[in-house]
Amino acid sequence: MLFNSFHFLFFFLLVTTFYFILPHNKRWLLLLLSSCYFYMAFVPIYICILGFTIVVDYFAGILIENSNGKRRKLFLVCSLVANIGILCVFKYYNFINENLSYLLHGFGRSNPIPYLSILLPIGLSFHTFQAMSYTIEVYRGNQKTERHFGIYALYVMFYPQLVAGPIERPQNLLHQFREHHHFDSDRVFEGLKIMIWGLFKKLVIADRLGVYVNNAYNYVPEQDGMTLLLATVFFSFQVYCDFSGYSDIAIGAAKVMGFDLMANFRRPVLAKSTGEFWKRWHISLSTWFKDYLYFPMGGNRVSIPRWYINLMVVFLISGLWHGANWTYVIWGGINGFYLVFAIMTQKTRDRFNNFVGISKHPKLFLFSQILITFCLITFSRIFFRSRTIGDAFLIIKKILSFNGSPFNGGTSILIYCFFAVFFLLAVELKKEFYRGSFTLSHHPNFWIRNSYYSLLIILIMLLGVFDGGQFIYFQF
Amino acid sequence: MTNTTKKKSLQNFFLKLAACLLIISLVDFTAGAILNKYYFNQQSGYDYLTTCAIENTTADILILGSSRAVNIYNTDIFAKQTKLSCFNAGRYGEPIFYHYAVLKAALKRYTPKTVILSFDAGNFSINAEAYDRIAALLPYYKRHPEIHSIVELKSPFEKMKLLSSIYPFNSLPLSIVAGNRESNKAKYSNSNGFIPIEKTFEGELKTFDYTKEKQLDPVKIEVYKSLMQECINRKVELVVICPPYQIHRIGVDASINEGKRLAQQNDIRFLDYSADTSFTNYPALFADFRHLNIRGVEKFSNVIIDTLKKRFQ
Repeated sequence: MLFNSFHFLFFFLLVTTFYFILPHNKRWLLLLLSSCYFYMAFVPIYICILGFTIVVDYFAGILIENSNGKRRKLFLVCSLVANIGILCVFKYYNFINENLSYLLHGFGRSNPIPYLSILLPIGLSFHTFQAMSYTIEVYRGNQKTERHFGIYALYVMFYPQLVAGPIERPQNLLHQFREHHHFDSDRVFEGLKIMIWGLFKKLVIADRLGVYVNNAYNYVPEQDGMTLLLATVFFSFQVYCDFSGYSDIAIGAAKVMGFDLMANFRRPVLAKSTGEFWKRWHISLSTWFKDYLYFPMGGNRVSIPRWYINLMVVFLISGLWHGANWTYVIWGGINGFYLVFAIMTQKTRDRFNNFVGISKHPKLFLFSQILITFCLITFSRIFFRSRTIGDAFLIIKKILSFNGSPFNGGTSILIYCFFAVFFLLAVELKKEFYRGSFTLSHHPNFWIRNSYYSLLIILIMLLGVFDGGQFIYFQF
Repeated sequence: MTNTTKKKSLQNFFLKLAACLLIISLVDFTAGAILNKYYFNQQSGYDYLTTCAIENTTADILILGSSRAVNIYNTDIFAKQTKLSCFNAGRYGEPIFYHYAVLKAALKRYTPKTVILSFDAGNFSINAEAYDRIAALLPYYKRHPEIHSIVELKSPFEKMKLLSSIYPFNSLPLSIVAGNRESNKAKYSNSNGFIPIEKTFEGELKTFDYTKEKQLDPVKIEVYKSLMQECINRKVELVVICPPYQIHRIGVDASINEGKRLAQQNDIRFLDYSADTSFTNYPALFADFRHLNIRGVEKFSNVIIDTLKKRFQ
């Protein structure tokens, strides 16, 4: 069930209505059952995998809390092995096997291990990471175990963020299932507005740009350099709007029912450095890696070479988290390299900026920082979007030739795409630099405020791509 | 929270909701009316040709199909040699659903002498895009009840989406503007639907392995059968033609086989030129692997007219 479908609209209306009608002590059951239905709308049988993770981590949490010393650690390790094991089987088994085949082929031998013909369970990486954060937090003593099996299951399965995050922490979400949420019209409207903006980003911006991007990236050999250059820039906006659109709908849907989910994006297109970009992009995953991988490895409180290794390891694993393909690993590697390079050259860059004198012009300096960051991130996304490494290098080669015309598929597609990008940038710039002024979305006048959202709905009806299909991050 | 505050909160919510719905309905209705006016006011472009096909044409020979119909059947040659009027109602990328809708709308107005259905390889393949393409018919939904059943194949919620006056014109504002511009009027407005391609095929032959395709879309097959039945019921001469391809093929396309079989079952003539060597051996007659160029069109139109001469007389 996609957030951008009528199926979801009816589901959401029904669940929300019953949520407020039911007495407080029955609401967890409604949410759990509706979350099961939501997940089973994709591939029903995969609910068993989710069930397995829930059972393992529920008991692991209790066992960890009830034990000390090595046994405590043992139960945590068992839980992590079970979770990562599921990820490996469903997401990485065929990838590892394929690479083994290549390796053995190099030695003139064939691989006897068969491939698995299985579909990747939707949102597997998201709910697995969320489940893992629970046992880790219990182990660290930051979270008490949840003894109510239904509420724990709901923590892993809460439908708004089940398949594409935000990847929640138990400290933020678990207690909310026990709180009594009254119907609050302001809150409901606030949630609906966030959902409308999310839908706009998905249907009008992401899917519209997707028309151009897919056309270019799915037929790379036939494309000109200019088409691929523009498609790469558009993809940067597409993936942002697609994923943040999903997060907005999730956050909005939860808000309507009285739940506060963590923010997942903070205008990453306006980041001034790659380091800052990762504090604004997919915040729930970045902080997950920071808390559960980067810090335990020592973070930056180690020798400088070890610090660089820590950063590279985190980013390579983050790449692999996104998908079982070398293109994602390279994407992660490039982004890790950006951070290492930025740290290594910090002083030289400061000296250079002072020498050129750009730091005396704050606005120009800010613009150049944002532009350079955007270009670097966009470049790395060539690997993120390409189907193969060969395709990625072909795209780079073609882009560097700067030949041809960008009018892939006609002028109207291009005009719609530029409209989408400008609209997004206008909203983002306003939110970033002019907070409090030109406010339409939160204007004190009811009619102005709601006319703005009505306009968004009308634009969705008029310019939204209704056949755009699923969200990019569902595959992860 | 007391019961009174709860009640007030609910009242407040429904009042605000009603106000929002009012604004949306007003804007939707007004913008929809404007878009509707200008959509049907177009004098050029693909939408204009669709309006001609659905609402205006009374041609004796009606040609249905995708881009291979639009680019391959020269209406002038047909009209000159048969002394019958001819309209090419094909549209780029459109599948069988569109052809059936156009035929139904046309049959509601008049009875053409001959209908030519241009058939493509893969016509019955399973692909979601074919259903998305039904979108081209959305502006006609309210004006043509006879096409409702076809438009509703697009999605189970299409009827509900079409409550909006704006939705039928989704993604169309720019083409509506272009279709209303004076400077654009010459474009395709006098072509009777035929759009020639000048260029000549270059590059290597693509290989199509038809042995892999096994499953066909039963809905598309059903629509194809209904199209044939409609012609039979109205005693309209239907000819199904598959124009040539410039490809290297392995096996035979399952859709062409099925199309041929069903046509024979209904005593309808199916002319298969998909692998006709008098075309496929001459790349100079093609613009690309799917479309004949202006020289190929001339030869092909003459071949078709010769073959169907008796019927046209």
